[in-house]
Amino acid sequence: MKTTGALLFLMLISCCVRAQEAASVVQVTGDVKQALSLSADDLARMPRATVRTTNNGMETVYEGVWLHDVLKKAGVPEGSELRGKALTTYVLAEAQDGYQVVFSLGELDPAFVDNEILLADTANGKALFGAQGRFRLVAGKDKPGARSVRLLTRIEVVQLRK
Amino acid sequence: MKTSASRVVLFTFAMVAAGTAADFNWNLPKGFPKPAVPPANPMSEAKVELGRYLFYDTRLSFNDKESCATCHKQELAFTDGRAHAEGTTGQLHPRSSMSLVNVAYATSLTWANPALDSLEEQALGPMLNTEPIELGLKGHEQEFLEKLRREPVYQRLFPLAFPDEANLYTLANVTKALAAFERTIISMRSPYDRYRWSGDMAAISDAAKRGELVFSSSERGRCFRCHDGWNFSSVRYAGSQEHPAEDSMRGFFNTGGSLYAAPNRGVYEYTKHAEDLGKFRAPTLRNVAVTGPYMHDGSFATMEEVIDHYAVGGKYEDPNKSRILQPLKLSEGDKKDLVEFLKSLTDDELLRDPRWSNPWVKQ
Repeated sequence: MKTTGALLFLMLISCCVRAQEAASVVQVTGDVKQALSLSADDLARMPRATVRTTNNGMETVYEGVWLHDVLKKAGVPEGSELRGKALTTYVLAEAQDGYQVVFSLGELDPAFVDNEILLADTANGKALFGAQGRFRLVAGKDKPGARSVRLLTRIEVVQLRK
Repeated sequence: MKTSASRVVLFTFAMVAAGTAADFNWNLPKGFPKPAVPPANPMSEAKVELGRYLFYDTRLSFNDKESCATCHKQELAFTDGRAHAEGTTGQLHPRSSMSLVNVAYATSLTWANPALDSLEEQALGPMLNTEPIELGLKGHEQEFLEKLRREPVYQRLFPLAFPDEANLYTLANVTKALAAFERTIISMRSPYDRYRWSGDMAAISDAAKRGELVFSSSERGRCFRCHDGWNFSSVRYAGSQEHPAEDSMRGFFNTGGSLYAAPNRGVYEYTKHAEDLGKFRAPTLRNVAVTGPYMHDGSFATMEEVIDHYAVGGKYEDPNKSRILQPLKLSEGDKKDLVEFLKSLTDDELLRDPRWSNPWVKQ
């Protein structure tokens, strides 16, 4: 009994310690043809893109993969397929601390709008770390930064009408 | 031709002696923006040096007891360690001295005046205010300027700082020099800066790294919502757009930290708008570990007390309290980590660098 308690305590401590570490993959789940678990290496093999931001006068060049290309890889409808009920789809981005924001699928598709939303893994050539997490979103055309989710862990695709 | 050549030589000499606005060396780490400087008061090395002497000169008070540095001490990140600043006649100010660190980037100045955005104009406040008396120069202006005129240091520096002016010893030139010096008080070299911007992973402790996560999380500390960006406060920098009128209230919050009785009613004191009651600036958190006591009235002695105040969503209920403030789910460990993170913002170089020390004291 004592041993079980100690084991449970160790497991709990282990979880707490892990909770402070940035996730090493981004999960893409929900209404997708192909669920994904993307590491930095996986992203490095995909088409790369950059977004330049200015925050309080400090410029940062983020590099990563367009969120649209991530969704395309997961088999989410795009371009001419994105019509009818598919247009009731939203994309929920979740951070390690539980913070969540939503994009509509339409606003992520370059066939609809030039909205450059990046799933970034580097800033100024260096891998993201600390409070940025290993991955983050950069919604470069949003005025506030609230949808540029740091510590990104999960992308969930939800089609409201089927 | 000879005259023209002489003029060129003289002009060049004057520019080299004074330092020009364009070539002013801000000595900023890579990536940080230059501050905005008003065209009417370009930076020069000579003006900064003059401003430094003035900043530490007790002749700036009518009774030769206090200088700017009395309430803005370098070793305390240019605060004074008091809940209420004390003027040269012993009168207490209703508010605590604000840090001058990175004041060159401030979108507006003082605790609660969104309309005051000129350092030159601000410097006149402590010099001439009478309620309360700070430096007490009102009515003593000519006597004060005469004292400056008689000082050999100023006889050398005023002509270098203002090479094109016939009338050197004016309050306007004093405030220009003070503002130029204050603009150089820039803090960007804390351990956290080395960690965040230079990638030195060993620069801060694991506790401080965890504290950064709490600070930056919308679901946990939410601190970044008011203390955002590299300055942990909104900034104005060279090339930035002027803040539109509707944005002038950015950076002022009612945090339910006091009962906001007169004369500490915040922005309301200036606008008389009911919705501005209790709104005060969210100051930069750089060097916050040495700038206590905290808040506009010094009502919290320690960083731990401030964190406890925010953890309960603001000590007092108030109809104007910012909706950003909500009770936080912070463990005692989270709070300790936050404190460690805040400590990592202390820039020891700033606290000791002779560039900002008292020049009247021979080293």
